[in-house]
This record gives sequence, structure tokens and C-alpha cells, in this order.
Amino acid sequence: MTTTTNLTDDELSGPETPDARIRTLRHRRVSGWTRTQTIVRGVVLGLGAVVFLFPFYYMVVGALQKSPDPTIAGAFPNPANLTFDNFVNVNERINLVSGLVNSGIFTGGVLLCTVVFGVLVGYALAMMKWRGARATFALALLVQVIPFQLLQIPLYVLIARDYGLADTHIGMILPFAINSTAVIIFRQYFLQLPKELFEAARIDGAGEIRLLWSIALPLVRPALVTAVLLTFIGPWNEFLWPFLITKDAALQPLAVSLANYISTVAASTDNPFGAILAGATVLAAPVVVLFIVFQRYFVSNDLGSGVKG
Amino acid sequence: MQKPSVKRTKRSIMAVALTAVAGLALAACSGQGATSTDLTAKGPITIWYSNNAAEVTWGKQMVEAWNAANPDQQITAQEIPAGKSSEEVIGAAITAGNAPCLVLNTAPSAVGQFEKQGGLVDLSSFPDGASYIESRSGDIAKQYQNADGHYFQMPWKSNPVVIFYNKDLFAKAGLDPENPKLSTYDDFLATSKALVAAGVSQYAIQPAPTSEFFQMQFDFMPLYAAASGGTPLVKDGKATFADDNGDKVASFWRSLYDQKLAGQEQYQGDAFADGKAAMAIVGPWAISVYKNVNFGSVPVPTPTATKASDIWTFSDAKNIGLFSACQNKGTAWDVLKFATSQEQDGKFLEATGQMPLRKDLPTVYASYFAANPDYVAFGDQASRTVEVPSGPNTVQEMQAFRDAWSQAVIFGQGDVNQALSDAAAKIDDLASKP
Amino acid sequence: MTTVVKTPRAPAPASGGAGAPGPRAKRSLLRRILGRQPLGLLFSSPYLVFVLAVFAFPIVYSVWISFHDFFFAAPGANPARPFVGFDNYIAAFSDPQVIRSFGNVGIFLLINVPLTVVLSLLLASALNRVVHARTFLRVSYYVPYVTASVAVVAVWLFLFNGNGLVNTVLGPLAPDPSWLINDKLAMPVIAIYVTWKQLGFYILLYLAALQNLPKELYESAATDGAGAIRRFFSVTVPGVRPATLLVLLVSTVTGANLFTEPYLLTGGGGPNGASATPVLLMYQLGIQQGQPDVASAIGVVLVIGVLIIAFLQNRFVGERES
Repeated sequence: MTTTTNLTDDELSGPETPDARIRTLRHRRVSGWTRTQTIVRGVVLGLGAVVFLFPFYYMVVGALQKSPDPTIAGAFPNPANLTFDNFVNVNERINLVSGLVNSGIFTGGVLLCTVVFGVLVGYALAMMKWRGARATFALALLVQVIPFQLLQIPLYVLIARDYGLADTHIGMILPFAINSTAVIIFRQYFLQLPKELFEAARIDGAGEIRLLWSIALPLVRPALVTAVLLTFIGPWNEFLWPFLITKDAALQPLAVSLANYISTVAASTDNPFGAILAGATVLAAPVVVLFIVFQRYFVSNDLGSGVKG
Repeated sequence: MQKPSVKRTKRSIMAVALTAVAGLALAACSGQGATSTDLTAKGPITIWYSNNAAEVTWGKQMVEAWNAANPDQQITAQEIPAGKSSEEVIGAAITAGNAPCLVLNTAPSAVGQFEKQGGLVDLSSFPDGASYIESRSGDIAKQYQNADGHYFQMPWKSNPVVIFYNKDLFAKAGLDPENPKLSTYDDFLATSKALVAAGVSQYAIQPAPTSEFFQMQFDFMPLYAAASGGTPLVKDGKATFADDNGDKVASFWRSLYDQKLAGQEQYQGDAFADGKAAMAIVGPWAISVYKNVNFGSVPVPTPTATKASDIWTFSDAKNIGLFSACQNKGTAWDVLKFATSQEQDGKFLEATGQMPLRKDLPTVYASYFAANPDYVAFGDQASRTVEVPSGPNTVQEMQAFRDAWSQAVIFGQGDVNQALSDAAAKIDDLASKP
Repeated sequence: MTTVVKTPRAPAPASGGAGAPGPRAKRSLLRRILGRQPLGLLFSSPYLVFVLAVFAFPIVYSVWISFHDFFFAAPGANPARPFVGFDNYIAAFSDPQVIRSFGNVGIFLLINVPLTVVLSLLLASALNRVVHARTFLRVSYYVPYVTASVAVVAVWLFLFNGNGLVNTVLGPLAPDPSWLINDKLAMPVIAIYVTWKQLGFYILLYLAALQNLPKELYESAATDGAGAIRRFFSVTVPGVRPATLLVLLVSTVTGANLFTEPYLLTGGGGPNGASATPVLLMYQLGIQQGQPDVASAIGVVLVIGVLIIAFLQNRFVGERES
């Protein structure tokens, strides 16, 4: 019970407030995890990580191979069989810079709209009483339930013909602008916040915007980052919609040109398998890097202190 | 709890919103209406061509040549937004009214649908429409008419499907690489067995075993065309293949799958290029792709020995469509004729190795075929090709066939002959639908 | 115990009822007309406008299409589009393939959803306590989720095809026919693939929820002598119930709309349609085969089905409002 191996999140990240430190100490004393349990947990998590990482690792190794090697040995990098040619091929056929810029505009536009408007509606749904709240929530659910294939052509007609937004970034962004899953996530996490806090602030005369900005938002930061990442993945990997709406290659995001490369051009290269995996790696790399950079924001150890203090 | 006024306010907000939506819906339904029906208008146009590297090269020079001679009627060209789904993009563009003037890569299987959608211009309505098409392509053009004898597509180029075989692997298996025994079904099966038994490749041949409707173009259709001496899949609104010839073709493929001479699983990459299969069933476009393989080609096999000059096959043609959204249809028609002129067809043949759908191909471009003996057989074969069924339900018909084929032939569940006659009944039904 | 963790909606009316009169009296006329917290509507209006502008027309249009003899036509063409009642629904559901596709997606959900909920909660609570290499571990679990399906599918094909690594490792135990062309195994492989692919996202949802669980609860449970396993069931599980509901809803909805994986992994729903899903058939019928009317009918039934499941999940797992 009192073993010193029971380090917790709080200890690792170094609690900043005295309050948190006290909790940490208390926590350690009663945490109840035995050394064996901790070790088992570490091993299971480690094995799981291998299972999760392997295909990605294989993708990178395969992308670096001169010729595909489907044997078990092929899963290990062989210096004699390594090359950057697959990436050079991708670079020759695709304008990576303009693809990245377009992906950035597309994804950035969606993120901005989702964070600003999604947080507003999520907060309204969770924290405020107004007629139509339930209907709005049902609508958010409904929008996600509907398969995109059902709406694809009517949506295309609406945006291309009626709004005249074919071959524009706005036309690309519009159907994704506010991610309904993110709205639901925001609502869910706002719901978990203690209402007493808000009542107290309301009685003190704080406006809703202020409540949202200075109380609610800081408390749901992990949810915010989760939703941002979720929202990010959608437009970043989406190729069907931008493919339909942009005929102009100069406007196409990376996913579209890479999907195009993977499905048509790669087959005519000397090493189609390597070419496909190289395309895949180029598409995945920026996301993984961004994720590694931002992942620390997922964890917020001082979350509870504000509420309980 | 809520005051009535709140309800009223909210109701009016909803009313405003609903009106906005209704307005949108109306605008969408009524559409923009006026697409020009003038077939003589001249001016700038846009075209899409295939994204295959060789065709891009040809397309660019064609556009340059046209633009240099016609400064007032410039072409803006781009690669077709491609992938598995270029027909999807064209279909959506037709619905939205922003399709280009010409698509130089229109799949014949999609033409019936595009026509039904009102997306294509009837080329026969140009004064010289039908005569130009027929004088260029000869009798084979008739396969590209719709039920009323109109041309909604310009027959452009074909890739007559034949068997490619890997000479090195044949030699390794102790087979004669110069005169492979592949002409009859029995020979083909015996050769396949020898290849696999010798362990030179995992499979003898590997057409895609997946369920997409168009895959039937590369297993059943070429062999059925050959076995039946050029009978189309659907004739006079009736499926033809539930006959002795169809049964023979299906049993032949069933034997290949049953004896594991052909793979039931999709191969990632190109089985022939990677030496996974010793043979492939493809058209001349593949010659440049397989430059690293020492290969030869023979016509597709037939139930009994047939002279090569009598063997039919599937065309794998791509055509040119003139789309109704085009404002300057006069220019589009002129460009269409320019792009399919004898001169441009010659350049196309040289750049891509694909066969313009032009009668007397071997004589018109005799010098090309003299310089490229690899292509002679294709030039000759191009005059004996069968096309997919026409009409608005082509894709449904092909999917119905593919589903039956996948189950009975590829996976060996149920009776092969029964599956063919069931598919034929379904297709008869579909062919009679508008 | 759980009351501390979750504060259901009960207190909220108090803020409106008891706390409101004071501030409200000071508020402007507008506030008096619109009543309690009308800002909610204002906050939500951008989203509502967005949904109305982008989705309302296509959704309504799709339902309308499903009751008419319809195909997409060019702007100039005005074909007759007679009302046909339930004909499209009858056409869709008299096709055994359509029935089978619903069965397939049912199998998928039965495997995928429970697996997702259990694994993501277990992994998240383990990850939440992990000390060493935690960045590495979290990133590992998230990588499949951020990578495009187009990309990872190639790797799975390599792993699960006839000569793939999995069969090589299994040797004589390898199934025949192989995984992806075996009509009993194709769908389970897809279900496991999707679980693996999406798990990172659900782990994040749970991690975020676990951050909100007060440590005191664990402490008091531990003081009461509860072991790690009991604490998991008595503190963690009830504490993250809103997140569980979210995981259930989202995984059900994504699962029911399964399209990319059978499209890419089993070459269009093979073998023999054993991995065809309703959305895949909608794509084939509506977009490839020019029958958007029948495709819409399938879509409408699918949406209603998913809404019913979502409602039941919300009812039995969701917050109790009494």
C-alpha cells in the first residue's frame, strides 16, 4: 500500500499548487496499487502499443524499401534494400507544398468554425435552459447519423449549383464547417462540470460569455483538445468531398492528390507497394508530428483544484 | 415556464429559417434552366483528358496545336479528376451543370446513364455527326449507338484485351516461350497447371477477383466474345450468355479457380509485373507498363482451336462525350473532330500504343506498325471487339452479372450454369426498364 | 457516491427558478421578452444556420427522393418523377443482398461496439495511471486513428492476405479460405480492424473523462478497503458514464455508416457480399448504378434504425433525469 513505486500523474508532472501537492501525498498513501499490478499494467500497455504501432512502423519501412519484401524479414529494415526513391517519386508527381497549403486552409477553416461555434452551442446545450435545446441536440445527433453517401449528390448540387462555390476553399470547408461530433463532445463535458460553480457566478452577475470563457473553457481543456484533434482528422484525411468539389488541381488538398496518386499513378511505378506506402507516410507524418507536439495538452492535472478550491 | 412571447419569437425564427430552406429547395429544383441548345456557338471551351502519363503528353500537344490555330476559341484542358470514381465526378458535374465540354475518357458503361440524365449532346444532331463517326470507325461504330440509333458518344480508342505471358517464367517451367500452348481451354489449363506445378509463380493468371461491376470486362467478357464469335452480352434486349458458350467460359474459369491456378484474393500491386502470376489478361496500354517484363502476347483462348484472325475480344474502349452543359458546342464538335483526325489519331497511337477506333488501322498507320511489331496483333485485333451493353442500366446489369459470377465461379458456391441463367433473367428484366 | 461525480441537471432549474428573479429584474427589456436564458438560442444560432444551410435541403431532398421514381438529371432536363409510395422501399428490401448487408453491419456492431467500449475504458484507465514513457504510449495508441484509412488498409491487407504475415505465423492453423475471402471471417476482421483503427479516439474521450473524476473518490474507496478491481467498478465505471454513452453513440453511428473499409479492404464488399454494408450498397446503387431512389430508401431505413439504437442507448446508459 505504501510502496514508493506508486508514482502518480501528479508526481510526474510536478504539482504546482500546494493544494495539489497535498492531494498527491494523500493519493500515494491510499492508492492501493501493488508493485505487481503496476508491472503487469506496464507490460500490457507496452504490448498493446506494439500492436498499435506495428502497422504504422511497417508503413514507414515499406515506404523505404526498394523492392517489396512480403516475408517476415521484410518487416525489418534491410540496409541493402533501403531507398528514398519512393518519396522522390511522390514529390515529382504531386505538388506537396500546394497540397499542404490547401490541406492547411481546409483543416484550419473547419477547426476555427468548430471551436468557435461548436463550443458556443455545446455550452448552450449543456448549461442553459432554452426551448429548442433538445431539438438542437437531436439535430446534432441526426446530422451524424446520416451517411454522407446519402447526401453527397444533393449536397454537391446545393453547394456547386445554388451557392456557386465549386472550386473554392469555402465550398470545400462548408459541409464540414461545424463538426457535430465535436458539438456533442463539448456538450457532454460541459454537462460534467459542477453546476454550483456557475450558479454562484451567475448570482454574482457574471454574463454567460464570461462564464464560458473564464470558467467553463479552462475546465474542459482536455475535451477541447480531444475535439480539436477529432475535428482535425476529418478534413485532413477526407478525399471524397474535396475531390468532388475541386476540379482544379491547384486547389486540391494533400489527401486528394495522394489518394489519386495511390489509386492511379502508383500502379505504374516500379514498386507500387512502396509508392503507396510512401504516399501514405507523407499524408500521416504531419498529423503524427502535430499530435506529438500537442499531446501534452490532453493532460491537465490541475483540473480539479479550481473546482474544489 | 416559458412565456407565450418566447414561443412566438421562436416560432417566427423557425418560420424564417424554414422559408429560407424552402427557398433553397425551390431554387435547386427549378435549376438554372437555360442550357444552350445552339450547336453552332463558338468560343472558349474546357476539356478533361485521362491522367495516364502517355495520354497527358498527347493531350497537351493536341491542345497546343488547336490553340495555336484558333486564338478566339481557346481550350482549357486538365486531367480528369480521377481515381476509382471518375464517373462519379462526371455524374455529379452533370447534375450540377458544371461538366466540361468534352471528356476524352468517357467509359461506354457510363454513357447510357449520362444520356438518361440529360448530360450528353446527341452527336447525331450535328449535320455531319453520324457520317463523321461512321466514316472514321466503320461498322464497329454501330456498337456505340443507343437503342434509337443515335450517337451520344464518339467511339475513340480501344485496348483489345489479350493474354500476356511472361516468357522467362514459361522457359523456367520448361514451356516453349515462343509458341506457348494457350489457344484452347484444355491447352490453357494444362499450361497453367505446368506453370504452378513448376513453382515459377504462385498463380497462372490473376484477374481481379473483386466485386466491382467492371471486373467482368477482364475475365468473362473477352472469353465470351471469343467463344461466341463476337456476340454481345445483350442482344435485342435479351441476355445472350446463358447458352453453351457462356457455360463453357464459366466452367473454364471455375476450373482455374478450383485448381488454384487463379487467385481468389485481390493482389496488392500488379501480379504480372511482380511475377506472382505468369500471365495477365490486358490490353496494349500495358505494354509500356510491363517494360521490365520479358513478355509475349496471344489472343484469348477459345473452347476449340480458332484462327487468330477470327478471334473476337472485349474492346476496353474509352470514348469522347460532348456534355450538354457546354456553352460553345460548335467549337466542342470541331475540337472533337480535330482530336480524332487522322493526324491526331496517329500521334495518339504513337504516344500511347492504344488503338484509335478507326477502320483499316493497320493500313492507315502501316509505318507505325512496321516500326512497332509488338502492336501489330493489337491493330488487327482492334477490328474484332465487343462492347459492353448499351442503355441506361448498363452498370446494374454488369453488377448483377458480377455478383452471380463472384459466387458461382470465383468462390464455387452453387451451380455455375444456374448462376448464369439467373443472372440472364435479371439482366433481361433490367434491359427492358427505361 | 456517484452524486459527487456527476451533477445531473437537477440543480440547474434552481439557478433559473430561485436565482433568476434578482438578475432578471435588472436585465433589459429584451431579456424580459425572451425569458430565461434566451442566449442559448443565440449561442446556438450559428450552428443551426449551418445545419439548415448545408444539411436541411439534402436531408429533406433524400427523403423526398426515396418516395419518387427519381434519378439525377442535368439542369436543363426535366424528367417525370412520379410519386411511387413505398415502391423503392419494397424494391430495396426484396433484394436479399440488402437484407444481408443489414445483417452484416449488425455482426459488425455486435463485435465492434462492446470491444471498443471495454478496451478503450481499460486502456484509458491504465494509461491514466501510467508513469513511464507516457507520451510514447499515448502517441502509440493514437497513431492508427490519425492515419488515413487509405494508408493503413494497405498494411492490413499485407497482414491478413493469404500469404500475409498472420497466416505465416499461424502456419497450419491459418484459415482456409483465408481471412478476407472467407465469408465467415471477413466481417469480423473488418470489425477488429475498425476497433483497432478508432480505439485511440475513444481512449482520448475516456482519458478526458477520467481527468474529471475527483481523486478523493478513489481515496475514500481505498480507505474503505476496496481493491483496484473493485474501485474500477465502483468508482471509475459509474464516474465516466457520460463518456461511455458518448463512446457508445459515436461508435454505433460510425459503425452503422461503415463504408471505407469494405470498399478498400475487401474489394467492394467481397467475398460474395459477405462484407457489403448498407452504405456500400447505397454507393453502388445511388452513385454507380443511377438509382438514387432505391439508395435513399435504404438510407432512410438505416438512419431510422440507428436513431432507435441511439435512443435506446441514451435511455439505458444515459443520465437519469427524474
